Amino acid sequence: MAGMLELKNLNKNFDAVHVINDFSLEVFENSLCCLVGPNGAGKTTTLDLITGRQAPSSGKIILNGVDITGKAEQAICRLGIGRKFQIPAIFRELSVEQNLAVAHSIEINPIKNIFSFSSKNYKTKMDEIADKVGLSHRLPEMAGNLSHGEIQWLEIGMLLMQDAPLLLLDEPVAGMTEGEVSKTVDILNELKKIKTLIVVEHDMGFVRRIADVVTVMHMGSLLAKGSIEQIEKNQEVRNVYLGTEDE
Amino acid sequence: MRINPYNNVKYQWAVYVVFFIFLACIPTIVGDDVFLLNQLSTYGVYGILALSLSLCWGFGGILNLGQGIAFGLGSYGMAMTMQLQSQDILEDRIPPFMLNNAVETLPAIWEPFWNAGAGISLALIVPTLFCLIFGGLMFWGRVSGPFFAIMTLAMLSAFYTIFIDLQYLTNGVNGITPPMALEVGPYLVDPYSSVSFWVVFVALLLCTVVAKLITQSKFGLIVQAQKNDPERTRFLGYNVALYETIIYAFSGFIAAIAGCCFAMLTQYVSPGQFDVGFSISMVIWVAIGGRASLLWGMLGAFMVQGAQSYLGDQFLSTWLLILGFFFILVVRFLPGGLAGLVEVILGYFSSNSSGTKGSNSEPKRVD
Repeated sequence: MAGMLELKNLNKNFDAVHVINDFSLEVFENSLCCLVGPNGAGKTTTLDLITGRQAPSSGKIILNGVDITGKAEQAICRLGIGRKFQIPAIFRELSVEQNLAVAHSIEINPIKNIFSFSSKNYKTKMDEIADKVGLSHRLPEMAGNLSHGEIQWLEIGMLLMQDAPLLLLDEPVAGMTEGEVSKTVDILNELKKIKTLIVVEHDMGFVRRIADVVTVMHMGSLLAKGSIEQIEKNQEVRNVYLGTEDE
Repeated sequence: MRINPYNNVKYQWAVYVVFFIFLACIPTIVGDDVFLLNQLSTYGVYGILALSLSLCWGFGGILNLGQGIAFGLGSYGMAMTMQLQSQDILEDRIPPFMLNNAVETLPAIWEPFWNAGAGISLALIVPTLFCLIFGGLMFWGRVSGPFFAIMTLAMLSAFYTIFIDLQYLTNGVNGITPPMALEVGPYLVDPYSSVSFWVVFVALLLCTVVAKLITQSKFGLIVQAQKNDPERTRFLGYNVALYETIIYAFSGFIAAIAGCCFAMLTQYVSPGQFDVGFSISMVIWVAIGGRASLLWGMLGAFMVQGAQSYLGDQFLSTWLLILGFFFILVVRFLPGGLAGLVEVILGYFSSNSSGTKGSNSEPKRVD
């Protein structure tokens, strides 16, 4: 069985610097794959390549059998990939409710959207998702006024409104308190029953609580892949994380 | 949680109704002073212009220093139509200024303007089409922010020069002065009568209602979203460039309507419509009034232009210094313009009064 998302021999150079080096990865449906690695390993760049923010120098990206290499961001997004950014990207001047409404991007035709005034047809969905990410009581609040954790959840909520089957999350728990991390773990474990997720993360404690598969990147290439137990025993990974290079 | 009544959509509409009722009373208040009425109608045109700019800049985040392009093209289209209305298609085909320039046959570009309907349609379509093409080129290339502003400014200057240079088509710096008022069917829209006031009033009303509705639609929400964070909007699957182009072109369309009304009211157009200073002053109206609010953008235009007409005569060129001083004050202390001040005051009173207001909110920018 072919994976939902396949990366084949990706390469990315910025001038002479090889950021991604012959990196291949396969992600299967309804699983949660964690992408870990030290700083500068190329994790975020990999997400950039998948979502079309940058074009790979060579290699192929295949989503559900369709080659999406080098397509525009919004086109890739329409094929079913949602992305949460490392620095949370939400619409700060809009209310939480409006953020979710914008994320409901079923209809992208601007002309049709000019004549659309009602949120009736997605109101139920919006309430459900707000509930799932724990923001039901914050709907009328300006998104810029939310706490850091709430902003992260709002962004996850927006991905759910967008309804993409494949979600890429870049450091979803960065800067969260322990309580907030636990809540995020619950949200993600709930999500992976219905979605496919790729999570970029540093925090191995967090990874242990959510990952089905862990992929370790180092210097832009694949270092190891396996379950969390296998990874934690892997000597090479230990060297990279604990040995000569520091985090 | 209490919502500032400033952000309540129902209250906003109520204020618009009051505003337009007040405007509708103006002919009664002014009475027989047709010159004053004509001047106030011109302010209405400035109001339409301010509306177009606050839609594009305040709402869509696209700073446009070249709104004069659409305005100028619209006004020239209207003036050409009016000019040909005073000519005869068989006997007296060529406007006098062309004869002075030794033009012997009417240039082809003028031909469609024999028909008033076609002429006015062109006066609206050409600027809109220009905005679609120019905006499309810019936004697809992800030109935004100050870079876009500079491009519009450069484009505006180019138009200014071209309209001066094409003397045989546009009468250069002298511009076009149609000798007769606009005729619509059997009726004459005399600029010095309440008829033209009502034409401008209806134009302003329609533009405002449509613009306000757009801001409340899903489209409007997405436009606001792209102003906040274009990248996020793109990653939600929207074609940001397309949305930007449409809001920019729509704003240009409204400015073209203003241009038509202006030519109708003044029976005079000149490259002055493409003057850089004039387009910048539109930005100042909207900034002082409050760019995030359509209504306050219009009020800003009324206030600044009104003050200019009366104080400008007394202070002469010192007036520009006074205007600049106020502009600096607003930018530094009231980034949301006077609208921001009103919002803060209303927020203060509503948080002091008990009882909750409606929750149908439309947050505005107060930064």
